[in-house]
This record gives sequence, C-alpha cells and structure tokens, in this order.
Amino acid sequence: MQSEILDTLDKLTLQCKVNAMSNHWAEENLDVIRTLMERSAIYRRALAPLMIAAGLVGVGASTLTCFVKIEGLVPFAVYWLVVAALAQGICLLLVRRQALKSEEEFWSAPTRRVARAALPGFFVGAAASLLVVRAGADEVWELPLIWSAAYGCGIHAAGFFMPRGMKLFGWLMILLSLGLFLGLGEIVESPTTETAHYLMGGLFGVLHLVYGVYLRFTETAKESV
Amino acid sequence: MNPEDFQKLDRVIHEKGRMAIMSLLAATAEVSFTDMRNTLGMTDGNLTTHIKHLQKAGYVGVTKSFRGKRPLTTLSLTGQGRAAFADYIDALEKIVKSARG
Repeated sequence: MQSEILDTLDKLTLQCKVNAMSNHWAEENLDVIRTLMERSAIYRRALAPLMIAAGLVGVGASTLTCFVKIEGLVPFAVYWLVVAALAQGICLLLVRRQALKSEEEFWSAPTRRVARAALPGFFVGAAASLLVVRAGADEVWELPLIWSAAYGCGIHAAGFFMPRGMKLFGWLMILLSLGLFLGLGEIVESPTTETAHYLMGGLFGVLHLVYGVYLRFTETAKESV
Repeated sequence: MNPEDFQKLDRVIHEKGRMAIMSLLAATAEVSFTDMRNTLGMTDGNLTTHIKHLQKAGYVGVTKSFRGKRPLTTLSLTGQGRAAFADYIDALEKIVKSARG
C-alpha cells in the first residue's frame, strides 16, 4: 500500500516537473525570439565617437565666435547651418568608417529607421527657423532654443530604435530648451547674439561632448548593426 | 497539456540556431550574411548549414549581389517562411497558456 502511494507520488512529481519544464522552455523560446527581433531593429553602431565629434564641432564653433563676430539673425542662422552640416558630415564619415571596418552596409535597415524617425523633428526645427528668419525677429537667442527643442524631439523619436540613453538625451535637450525659454530672461538681462552663440555651444557642443565621454566609458564595444 | 500543441511545432524552426535566424529575419526586410553572423555569433559554416536547411524548406530566400567589388549575400524571409514562423509562435504561446492551465 505504502509503495503504491509512493509510486503515485513519484508519477505526480514527474508530471509536475514535466509541466513546469515544458512551460519554461516555451517561455524561454518566446523570450529569445522577442529579444532577437528587438535587437535586429536597433541601431547599434558606437555612438561615443559621433557624440564627441559633434560636441567638439559645437564647442569649437561657439568658441570661434569669440574671435569672429557674427551678429544678426541671418548671419547667425547661416553660420550655425554650416556648422551643423559640418558636424553631420563628420558623423556620417565616422558611421561609414565603422560600417566599412565591420564589412557592413552603411545605409542599413536600422540606420534608415533612425533617420526616418528623426526626420520630422528636424524638419519642424528647420521650418520654424525659416519662419523666425522670415519674420525678422530681433530675439536671436530664441533660435538655438527652437533648434535644440526640435532636435531633442528628433533624437527622442530616433531613440526608439537606439540604445535607451538616447531617449533620455532627447528629453534633456527638450526640457533644457523649454526651461531656458522660460528662464533665460531671469539669468541674462538682455540676451544678445553672443548669448545665442553660447547657447549653441552649451546645448549642442557641451551636451554632446559630455554624453559622448560618458558613452566612451560605458558603451559596449559593439559596432555591428 | 495537449500533445497536439507539441506536434504543431515546426521541426525546421524548432532548433536554437534556426529559430534565432528566423527571429532576426522576421523583424527586418533583409539581413546580410555578415550582419547575421556577427549578431548571432555563429561560424560561417554553422550559419550556412542552417540557412541551407531553411532554404530547402522554402522559408528563407538568399540573394547574391556585389557591393563595390565585394560579394554580398542577403537573406530574407519568404512569404511561406513568415507564415511558418507566425504559426510557430502561435504554437509556443498555446503551450505556455495550456501549461499555465
């Protein structure tokens, strides 16, 4: 009688184990599938060199305005447009170099996804700048804040296809821009074009540089997409 | 636990390496052989064997072209492969659900 009970208990234990195992492996397989699908959609090139390069260009361009006076709304907009194109060009070259080094496609699917996600934010920034320039507004300092807020929106959207930190970086740009919009008058009595250049150096230069250095020490050396 | 759920699992996909390949391909339109190898950390030989298996089942399409002077092998899921992968995930979900009771 006792052995029959033990036998039944053994069978029940085995049944429970098998049930738990089958549930476990099926769940694990689904987890693996989810992780791989997410991974294949994420842009994983090393961001640290791009951030550092963009930051250096921003800080350098802002410092240059201490020696070369660029006054007025249109010269300001044109100057920083050229700087942005330069930074963008350098970043694209770095991405291309990474792609060639790892024998991968430059314009890969994750890269396309990131570009498509960021585009509306950048487009709104460009359109708003055009409107400000066309209106001939005197407040040059508003332009960097519009740019950084729109850039933050673009980066945040692109962050859905990039490592998590990019979304936070986007939020930081947005919140800083809005904060400065509201509070700059309290800090600087009458912001000038010079203030606007410093804002560009701070928002685009220093922020990128700091985040780039942070990534340099934390980012995994994974460069493949 | 319903044994039929286990039988529904596609044997071609139900292998660690091939399931990983199918997962990556299901998330994107196409992936190059090099990207796939680097992402999954497989050897060329291992990946080739799995791809041949999937190709034979009609689940994966292989396109060979040139990028500059270098040959480029691109992999993508076929319609049949996408449907089979969706069925495989459904079967896994059923197993998880039935095991939870």
